Amino acid sequence: MAHLLHHLLADSARLWPDRLAVSADDDALTYTELDRRSNQLARRLRAAGVERGDRVGILARKSGAAVVAVYGALKAGACYVPLDPSSPDERLTLIMGDCGIEVALADTANVARAVGLRRAAPTLRCVIGLGAGAGAGGGEPAEVETVSWQTVLDEGDHPLPGGGVIDTDLAYILYTSGSTGSPKGVMISHRASLTFVDWAARCAELDEEDRVCSPAPLHFDLSVFDLFSSCRAGACMVVVPPTTAMFPVRLGEWVEQQQISVWYSVPSLLTMLATHGNLRERDLSCLRVVIFAGEVFPAKHLSRLMEELPGVRHLNWYGPTETNVCTWHEVAHAVTPLSAPLPIGVACENVEVFAVNDAGERVTRPGEEGELFVRGSGLMSGYWGRPEKSRQALVRNPLQHAYDEPAYRTGDIVTLDERGAYVFLGRRDGMVKTRGYRVELGEVESALYAHPAVREAVVLPVPDDLLGNRLRAVISLEDEGAPSRSDLLDHCRRRLPAYMVPDEVEFTDTLPRTSTGKVDRVLLAASARGPEGS
Amino acid sequence: MDDTVIRDYIARELVRDPSLLPLENSTPLLDSGILDSLSLLRLVVFLQDQFGITVGDLDVVPEHFATVDAICGYLRSRTDGSVSTAP
Repeated sequence: MAHLLHHLLADSARLWPDRLAVSADDDALTYTELDRRSNQLARRLRAAGVERGDRVGILARKSGAAVVAVYGALKAGACYVPLDPSSPDERLTLIMGDCGIEVALADTANVARAVGLRRAAPTLRCVIGLGAGAGAGGGEPAEVETVSWQTVLDEGDHPLPGGGVIDTDLAYILYTSGSTGSPKGVMISHRASLTFVDWAARCAELDEEDRVCSPAPLHFDLSVFDLFSSCRAGACMVVVPPTTAMFPVRLGEWVEQQQISVWYSVPSLLTMLATHGNLRERDLSCLRVVIFAGEVFPAKHLSRLMEELPGVRHLNWYGPTETNVCTWHEVAHAVTPLSAPLPIGVACENVEVFAVNDAGERVTRPGEEGELFVRGSGLMSGYWGRPEKSRQALVRNPLQHAYDEPAYRTGDIVTLDERGAYVFLGRRDGMVKTRGYRVELGEVESALYAHPAVREAVVLPVPDDLLGNRLRAVISLEDEGAPSRSDLLDHCRRRLPAYMVPDEVEFTDTLPRTSTGKVDRVLLAASARGPEGS
Repeated sequence: MDDTVIRDYIARELVRDPSLLPLENSTPLLDSGILDSLSLLRLVVFLQDQFGITVGDLDVVPEHFATVDAICGYLRSRTDGSVSTAP
């Protein structure tokens, strides 16, 4: 049995050498090709000095080359760190500096940019281009060695010796929003990832005939499913072209043409597909499983989707990046009544979940509320370089006193329904979901405060049917300087990924206060929702 | 001019990367990442409100949204040519 993620690839290359592992716009790789190319890349990474435990950055859109990058990094014994090409340089260099990235892999469109990041990320010493022509020309600054893809192809394609990697070594670090203003790196080991990957492949009943699509980019943990669960099953991971994913009608046509059988995305994309995708005209008979995660699926849109896709399994998966998916719920029939929240369900294999109320007791009866805890082999190893934060999140299991054992505090408040499934009610803190991404409101506020003319800034979630939440910034200004709305948004766009940039900006002279002098978020939120909101 | 109205709206509301400004009528809106699935939706709502038309699902395709010029061309086809662009 595989105990490291890249063993999945070696196994599948033996079992299904000629089946397609990845299919993308301009690129298709069989399992043999993916295995050999990632061997070559692993050898080149080793030659560049990468050793067990090193962090290798990947600045690339999802593609065949990006999948080679992921497996190449793992085979070299490294842990991969996705760097989102649509994020601003400032955030990328923050991440690179945080986990000390020395070697980065970049697709053709991003090689020059990756090399340029050296100016603000001085640990970077080598950039390897992915794909034909990438990295051939070198770049500035000259302190960075640029390695062309051709150089990678000159390496031998037989497997590297293991290098002493064990299952508790890190496989990847995914950066998520941090409340104090800088992103935090969630460290996931091979063991933790495989806990999810194995379960997920069984839950979705994947096999070698499947064509699996998840539009999630590499830095979003939904991508772990199509990167690794597909590979475990010998299925084909199909990459959706970015422009196609934007146009619901074209996306519907594409799903038909590509004979997608398994789909995994955030609910908002499925809502667009169901409401604007003209699905009735499509022959989607290949599609057998639709999985959604990342945010709450509004019941009315889910009902619509299920009407459009009769006979398809619909699975609601739940779990913060720190735990992988930890609970799941199969939506057995059209959701009624429309107002009832969809359960997040019951624990996955090798995971235990429980809710603890304010008195420290386990929630056992329907209707009781408590905070959800997760334990088991799927947990993260901690946050990179943040022992204090890690201790606050991975606490001693509050229900088990015999020995020291970590449980992850999700910060999510849940209850039980009559069937014993958990139901998500809300958050304990300032974290919200928008477009399926987690956003710490404090991180957006920190970015706004960094503008010299901002005196006070509060960011509020405004519930939105499609996005989950829109972000509204309420701002009071210093007497000096009068930035416009677009000045402030530009300022945010240089610091934050697009999904964290406020959707609305409102100026006010003073922010309302509670009796203790804190900003009155409840009052602000009520006025943000408007008179009809509730 | 209507193309100015559309360009201003996109520049003001949808462009995330300031280095892509100023916007031209021929600036690619899709490959550049200016439009994504959600900003596209906002743009459609804006066009409907601004020009008093209904944009059907089948009309929301890359050919109609590749550039500001393409948007104007689509609008002209929907409004009997009354949508104007600067000469």
